[in-house]
Amino acid sequence: MPQLVTVRVRRPGHRTVRLWIPVLLVAIVLSPILLLALIGGVIACLIFDLRLPRTFAGVWRVIAALPGARFDIERGRNAVLVIIR
Amino acid sequence: MNEQRKAILDMLAEGKITADEAERLLTAVEPGEPAPNTTARPKGKAKYLRLLVEYVENGEPGRVNIRVPIALLRAGVRLTALVPPQALEKANAEMAKNGVPFDLTQLRPDELEELVNHLDEVTVDIDSSDAQVRIFSE
Repeated sequence: MPQLVTVRVRRPGHRTVRLWIPVLLVAIVLSPILLLALIGGVIACLIFDLRLPRTFAGVWRVIAALPGARFDIERGRNAVLVIIR
Repeated sequence: MNEQRKAILDMLAEGKITADEAERLLTAVEPGEPAPNTTARPKGKAKYLRLLVEYVENGEPGRVNIRVPIALLRAGVRLTALVPPQALEKANAEMAKNGVPFDLTQLRPDELEELVNHLDEVTVDIDSSDAQVRIFSE
């Protein structure tokens, strides 16, 4: 599971923004919203006739495989970097 | 001296094997010429798929550097098995409407997974006057 997400945004004329986001901490803070999302997911599974355990296992596999992903995009003096650890 | 060579020489010294036999055994345990491409990564060991793009647009240089874990691709492929058939049919219809007659229902997750398994052998290099694209696994 991702532990830390690093975001860096560089824009000309602005200070470079660097964010280190601790995923677990943010997930705890946003847990009420996550709970709503979970309920929405369950309803969607029931509507589209999807098997709940298989669906949640699939989504969890995607989340668990995220560490190591890196997106680094630069154009001129603009740049965005996202690293998932 | 490694253990195998020492054991063979000991057997020769003790008279358990002849000099010819010892020579044959030593030849067998000695590392031979390295096979071609031995420096290449063993098959199936790639962890990431890397996309590097360098381009110039309106005189401004740009760069895209994306690293995606192969495990993420694998997980995504497994997730496609959950897409309801009616959604695939709608996507097929929309793609056909836009001139891409592609049948998504024919894509089997196991075939896609086979494709992901062989990604470590993929290298794509595209060079043009204003852009360079490289896709490879590492």
